[in-house]
Amino acid sequence: MKIGWRLYFTVVGLVAMVMVSYEMNVWTFGSETEANPDLVRVENVSQSLNVQEASSDDKREILDGEFTVLNKDKDLNDEKVVKDKEQSDAGIIPSHIHIPSIGVDAPVEDVGILDNGQMGVPEDPQASGWFEPGTQPGNRGNAVIAGHVDSRTGPAVFYDLKKLQIGDEIKIQDKEGDEKVYIVEKLESYPMEDSPIEKIFGSTNEKRLNLITCTGEFVRDRGGHQDRLVVYSKLKEPEMDQKDITPPAKVQVQGTFITWHAVREDYVAGYRVYKSKGGEDFQKVASISKHERKTFVDAAASEHQYYVTTVNQDGQESSPSEIVGQK
Amino acid sequence: MKHLKKVLVLMMAFVLIVPSVSMANNSATVKTPASELRASLDQLLSEHFVLATTYMMKSYEDAEDADQVWEKLDQNAKDMTPAIASVYGEEAAAKFEEIFRGHNDYSDGFVEAAKNDDEEAREMAEAEVDEFVNEFGSFLATATEGNLSEEAAKEVLAAHEEDVVKVFDHYVNEEYEQAYATYREGFQRMFDISKALSSAIVTQMPDQFENTKADAPAADLRSNLNALASEHFALAVLEMQKGYNQSADYDFVTWAENQHTQDFKAAIESIYGQEGAEQFEQVWQQDHINAQSDLVTAALEEDEEARKMAEESLQMFAEDFGAFLGSATEGNLPAEAATEAVWMHEEQVLKTFDAYVEGDYEAAYTSFREGYGFMFGIGETLGDAIVKQMPDQFNQEMMPEEMPDTGFGGTSDQGLSTWVWVAFGLLAAASASFIYMRRVNQK
Repeated sequence: MKIGWRLYFTVVGLVAMVMVSYEMNVWTFGSETEANPDLVRVENVSQSLNVQEASSDDKREILDGEFTVLNKDKDLNDEKVVKDKEQSDAGIIPSHIHIPSIGVDAPVEDVGILDNGQMGVPEDPQASGWFEPGTQPGNRGNAVIAGHVDSRTGPAVFYDLKKLQIGDEIKIQDKEGDEKVYIVEKLESYPMEDSPIEKIFGSTNEKRLNLITCTGEFVRDRGGHQDRLVVYSKLKEPEMDQKDITPPAKVQVQGTFITWHAVREDYVAGYRVYKSKGGEDFQKVASISKHERKTFVDAAASEHQYYVTTVNQDGQESSPSEIVGQK
Repeated sequence: MKHLKKVLVLMMAFVLIVPSVSMANNSATVKTPASELRASLDQLLSEHFVLATTYMMKSYEDAEDADQVWEKLDQNAKDMTPAIASVYGEEAAAKFEEIFRGHNDYSDGFVEAAKNDDEEAREMAEAEVDEFVNEFGSFLATATEGNLSEEAAKEVLAAHEEDVVKVFDHYVNEEYEQAYATYREGFQRMFDISKALSSAIVTQMPDQFENTKADAPAADLRSNLNALASEHFALAVLEMQKGYNQSADYDFVTWAENQHTQDFKAAIESIYGQEGAEQFEQVWQQDHINAQSDLVTAALEEDEEARKMAEESLQMFAEDFGAFLGSATEGNLPAEAATEAVWMHEEQVLKTFDAYVEGDYEAAYTSFREGYGFMFGIGETLGDAIVKQMPDQFNQEMMPEEMPDTGFGGTSDQGLSTWVWVAFGLLAAASASFIYMRRVNQK
């Protein structure tokens, strides 16, 4: 009897799942469109932009929330975005794109703006096109590369782009073999007519690469696919040497305050404060994010010793600052 | 011997008068007409400095709130007119307003010159400042009938203008530590100017001020407390704005706040000793200065719980600081009243910051001016409590200005030094007998 009920529920459960998946059109496009959980379809661009700004894009937590990093720079419509002159030498003219996780290994051509205002695409369906009037890969700003999803006869260069997952690597090389590696941050698809052009092509203080291809149903009478897929990625900065992370200077005990001067570098995520009684066996007592007041409060500050370290956004920690306070 | 007798009598009179005056007068207060005048000038002049430097920084950055700061700077100048009119009449006040309001315009000259890197414009702005210093310096000297000499007036005015421009220049050059060190000096100078000016006015018309002195010890105390309280408010508002914007100079405003805490602590130490000073610092820093910064972090991270915690800290501070002031002044300032006043101040800080975050700059700077003015009430109330607590230290209001003229020179041919010694001996003997008499009386 027990087995009977178990069987009954299993069957009913399976039937329910089949019905639900039918309802959700999982089977419609066959096995090609296995749902990629990282791919987000955005119907109403202006609305979704607002939502994002209010939530995840404004700040992020690193090291399990030990530090909060504010992403004020991510405001893509920020007029104050400055192109850093020193950084602008770091860009490359892309000639090759390699995406190991989906097996893309293809040439990159220069494209511009067509007469009808569209971004150009290479004639060769197996080649991708870098938007040449825009940002060079490696520089601050949004570099953009587009490619076909299919040709008249079959899959093209970016056919598998929709299978990319957050964290995958995109490698861009120039003719000399210099390489920039980007990490996928998110995938979004938009209706062709309602894509956030400013977000994809506009200025930003970050070093970004956005890949574009077509997606969604092919609408034959319009001669094109109805949606556009955009893969947003960010430059992977080479890991720093621990000795290159500057420890805080001018650490001081003043009353109940332990204060220090900020390390004015982009890589800083925050600071750790260590405390000891008697000058040995320092214990971490606080983590202060970059944007906070550079102060740790301790009512018993006058009876302890302290040092402070700098932590970068990769979680690496500098050597200790000088030790301050009374033994 | 006739002369000696005369000297003796006068000396005795002097020796007896001084202590009896200070013992008889128990109505020690910071609320004298002269002190009121000085406090008004303290407020308006120092607020002028704060708004002028703030305006120049904001305007240089093309900040959204620059216009509202400018309006308040202008309003501050207009608010000085009635104060001047009450002393010198409408006509002089109008002249004053014309010169003083006009000089705010030069700040734009400096800002534009810096923005466009235009040396010629800079020189023009500097020339205008020189002209203002001359014109306003002679106006003040004339108005005070030379009680503030033209030379002294021009010197302080030039120094003030230099402070403002130096703060701005350091800011533009991103030398933030110097910028805020200069800011603090320049802020303090406004209180020096206020002291000099109010003393000159009071000396010029002693009757109007009931023969009270603008530079009496109690008036000095009140003014010092005014300076410390109002600088705290100015720096707190600035720190929170700069923190919210994550401005490059944020960490230097917090540095200036820490320097200010040191100064406040030193002032408390001079009144209540080291232990009191350390207690003060503990309370002042923990749930107060740091909590104000926590409010900024909460706003940046949009973390409502953190905001609530910071507000609770500030409430705790109001309690603790009120209790500290109550016990330090031995109840001359009741703890409850102190807590109420401190919380009022914190509310004004919150209101100013919240309006700023919301982008309602009109409300932000209206609240700024209210909150700034409120600090001068704290100087008055706390100052008065301290003076009432230790009247001996502050009650010198009736001291004679100069030593009495106790000789006619008829004996000078016999050698002055002998008589000086005789006088000294008699003075000492008289004091001893006086003290002896008091002891006997007390028994």
